[in-house]
Amino acid sequence: MDAVVLQLIGSAVAVATMVGIAAWARIPRPCPPLDEVRAREILAVEYPDHAIDAVWLAADGAGAIARSGDHALVLGRLGDSWVSRDLPWERALASEIRGGRVRIRVDCSGAPRLDLAVSGVNPWPPQRPQDLAA
Amino acid sequence: MTPDPIKAAFDPVTLAIPLFVITIIGEIILGRMRKAKAAYEARDTATSLLMGLGSNIAGLLTGGAIVAVVIWVWQHRIFDIPMTAWWAWVAIFFLEDLTYYWFHRLSHERRFWWASHVNHHSSQHYNLATALRQTWTGGVAGTWLLWLPLAFLGFPPAMIAIQKGISLVYQYWIHTEAIGKMPRWFEAVFNTPSHHRVHHARNPRYLDANYAGILIIWDRLFDTFIPETDEEPPRYGLVKNLGDFNILRVAFHEWIGIGRDLMTARSPREVLGYLFGPPGWSPDGSRETSKTLKAKWLARQEAKAEPAPPLAAE
Repeated sequence: MDAVVLQLIGSAVAVATMVGIAAWARIPRPCPPLDEVRAREILAVEYPDHAIDAVWLAADGAGAIARSGDHALVLGRLGDSWVSRDLPWERALASEIRGGRVRIRVDCSGAPRLDLAVSGVNPWPPQRPQDLAA
Repeated sequence: MTPDPIKAAFDPVTLAIPLFVITIIGEIILGRMRKAKAAYEARDTATSLLMGLGSNIAGLLTGGAIVAVVIWVWQHRIFDIPMTAWWAWVAIFFLEDLTYYWFHRLSHERRFWWASHVNHHSSQHYNLATALRQTWTGGVAGTWLLWLPLAFLGFPPAMIAIQKGISLVYQYWIHTEAIGKMPRWFEAVFNTPSHHRVHHARNPRYLDANYAGILIIWDRLFDTFIPETDEEPPRYGLVKNLGDFNILRVAFHEWIGIGRDLMTARSPREVLGYLFGPPGWSPDGSRETSKTLKAKWLARQEAKAEPAPPLAAE
């Protein structure tokens, strides 16, 4: 039993060391804030059968909501990667805003909520048609 | 001295732990120096390594019962296979690898076992740390039952454990982007970083392919082999990637999804479909499975290849 505990402690120390070195190395993939072109590129890969009508960008560029007919296609940044989900457009419009972030709730145990930054300049839901980049 | 047929004289995975640590650090440093293709995101790395650590702890909880069952089956074996015979090691090398292929295929193509295996594919990165992102629920999912025929045939439990360990250690080094392609003869016979990148890819064209452990020959034999192509680099992770780095979500999200679906099931057919259908199965077909994603991808490819219809004569 002592050997098992010792092995687990040793493994925990090794994990901390490797994570520390990974953080020090700073070698994530480049993942700059989204602009409309990049958002559309990612959405084209994630949803190749959906035509994108318009795109709303999060205030910090760490996410986007695109309208595709009756659907909202949502992108959110996770580390140096992107996570996508879709939901009815009306539900996306009705999403709660708290702490400067729109909280998109999705019926999915893998990503039940995606939070995207909003601002006065970039409000959600879009106040005017031109707030959605067509 | 006759080796103990029950308790393995050594555990290849435990012996390889220092190798894991050194090579992960090496891959990070080579990536930092731009000497090798390697991307590490610290929180993703932490998730992968903590899943590995948790998998060890989960193994301690269920391992005793599993070993007891394997020993019981071996006590009712049909042949006596000696651990000291060279041919026995050759035989178990191939038979264990074949067993692994079917275990792995089942773990991708049926949701109940996918729920246990999905965590290994949940990173959007493909590096040596990803290799250690192991299941916490494999014991509960019961995929270890697939190895019982080896014990029933007469392979001693210690031999099975050692060969399983060798297979796991072999599969560690192929989780890297730092190695392009191995020599052609090697790619033809063995599982390689290139073949396994395809396996971890979420591109529709690459889904449900390359289930091999050590030998890629099984995929070629059972028609699940897809080569990596330069024209479409693999994108890693799940068809629907996870929304955070929470290790509890990584370990249990698909089990929770199954539970939610079962609550809505309206017939035994739906219960069976949600449990043992392919991942993404739904009664009305409204969700995507690997098969539907591949079919749509193929249709898009065919549409691209077809010349545009001639304009109507004016």
